[in-house]
Amino acid sequence: MKQQRNAAWWQVLPAVALLGLVGFIPLVAVFNYSFFDIFTLDSRFWVGTEWYAALVGTPDLYAALGRSLLFTTLVLMIQLPLGVGIALLIPQNTFAKGTILMILALPLVVPWNMIPIIWLGFINTNYGLLGQMLEAMGWNFDYKFTALHTWILIVAMDTWHWVGLVAILANSGLSMVPQTYYLAAKIDGAGSWAVFRYIQLPKLQGVLTMALILRVTDSMMIYTEAFGINAGGPDNATSFLSLELGEDIAAFDYGPAAARSVVYFLIVLLVAWVLQVSSRRHIRGPL
Amino acid sequence: MIWRGLKILALIGLVVVMLAPLAQSILLSFMSTLPRNDMAVGTFTLLNYRNLFADPALIGSLWTSLTYVSLNIVICLTAGLPAAYAISRFSFVGDRHFLLMLLVFRITPPVVLSLPVFLLFSKLNLLNNPLGIALVHCLFNVPVTIWILESFISSVPKEFDEAAFLDGYSTPVFFVKFLLPIITPGIAVAAFFCFIFSWVEVVLARILTSTGGKPISMAIQSLFGFQTDVGLVMAVTILSLLPGVFLIFLVRNHIAKGFQLRI
Repeated sequence: MKQQRNAAWWQVLPAVALLGLVGFIPLVAVFNYSFFDIFTLDSRFWVGTEWYAALVGTPDLYAALGRSLLFTTLVLMIQLPLGVGIALLIPQNTFAKGTILMILALPLVVPWNMIPIIWLGFINTNYGLLGQMLEAMGWNFDYKFTALHTWILIVAMDTWHWVGLVAILANSGLSMVPQTYYLAAKIDGAGSWAVFRYIQLPKLQGVLTMALILRVTDSMMIYTEAFGINAGGPDNATSFLSLELGEDIAAFDYGPAAARSVVYFLIVLLVAWVLQVSSRRHIRGPL
Repeated sequence: MIWRGLKILALIGLVVVMLAPLAQSILLSFMSTLPRNDMAVGTFTLLNYRNLFADPALIGSLWTSLTYVSLNIVICLTAGLPAAYAISRFSFVGDRHFLLMLLVFRITPPVVLSLPVFLLFSKLNLLNNPLGIALVHCLFNVPVTIWILESFISSVPKEFDEAAFLDGYSTPVFFVKFLLPIITPGIAVAAFFCFIFSWVEVVLARILTSTGGKPISMAIQSLFGFQTDVGLVMAVTILSLLPGVFLIFLVRNHIAKGFQLRI
């Protein structure tokens, strides 16, 4: 049982002040702007909920939301099982483990605007390793004009980028399983599926919730990487939520951009809340 | 036996897939990719790296990036350590709300905040200034720091702090002299995650440096033009990876501990 001590507030105060400055104040400001028509910051006019009405009234928003949800679903279905699978494969020996974890972490240190550049080089038909291979196999991979191919490219790129994080987190969960559990399972004659289901998976719950929340929110709001591949094309087929917001900001439509920001923030908040509530219930459930 | 062979094959496949796109970039960075008078396209050359080191703007942007990332790590650790200690050891009014706030700010998409952050920081005179980027990246790095440090501090028995306090040490002295040395791996892991999240972030870094003091990621972007020198772009990309690779190497045996979400 933790000690009750309200004086501990002094210790969280610096963190709260920092987040207030760079998080809370901008959020309030964006909420405020969303009710104005902004020409310059000095001349702006109250328009009430006009931007919200316009935003909610267009099919555009729902189409982008649908695309983002589809993308997030694909990302989760591929990256979570794959990440856990990789974590299970990682050998126990310190040197091999360190090396594999290092390789898995490499894509994480690439600046996000470089990720599409690296991949476009990789699939370039003139000099790219994968591009030449696909051409030799006779597959005409056309990410510029074929929507399905653009999707495949973005999902593959995102998987390359992030599966390492899922695997690293899953590996950290696995390393919390005491060796005696495995020994006990062996004595009881448990198969590898039973070991995974009843020993490893429960220990993975905490880290997988973390991975799930990070992957859901980051993939819902993917911007830099997806924009770099095909700027939302072909024909808006990969125009996700954030890309549309980016266009508003680039066009200096501050009022509508602010309204869109508020709506997106609420969507992300809702998703996080659902995940939090369901993960808490799940953890408490069997007890 | 077959099972073991399959496992090794899968691991080799994984390594190949993870490294191939990067290998491609390394290859290109040593290649002449523009038609030049004295060199055919595709020739092996060190020219891209020579051009890169001859360009003071590119080298300057690398330093800018290193500056704000280091500042960000220092700020996050300074603000995060006491907060992590507090939520690890005590329960207090609003502690659940504090944890929820961390989650909310960690997942707030930067693109949502880019506009007001720009306006706010221009009032505070923090545009084109590494300190500005270092501060704004606290948005997602302070929560991560607190989650990581909290899990490391929680594995230190409580009797450890009680003994120090009985000896008459104050809380700040206890943090520096006793707690820091014992959770050094935690500090390294937290610094590592702060580094990568700050190093790779582009949206906020771009909007805060629209007129000058560009970070390395934006400097690469500005190399694109009518006739892009892909070789040079790849050379700068590879250079921009090196600090991260070095850090990964340092913490490779500790990232296995990772971090857990606290909500």
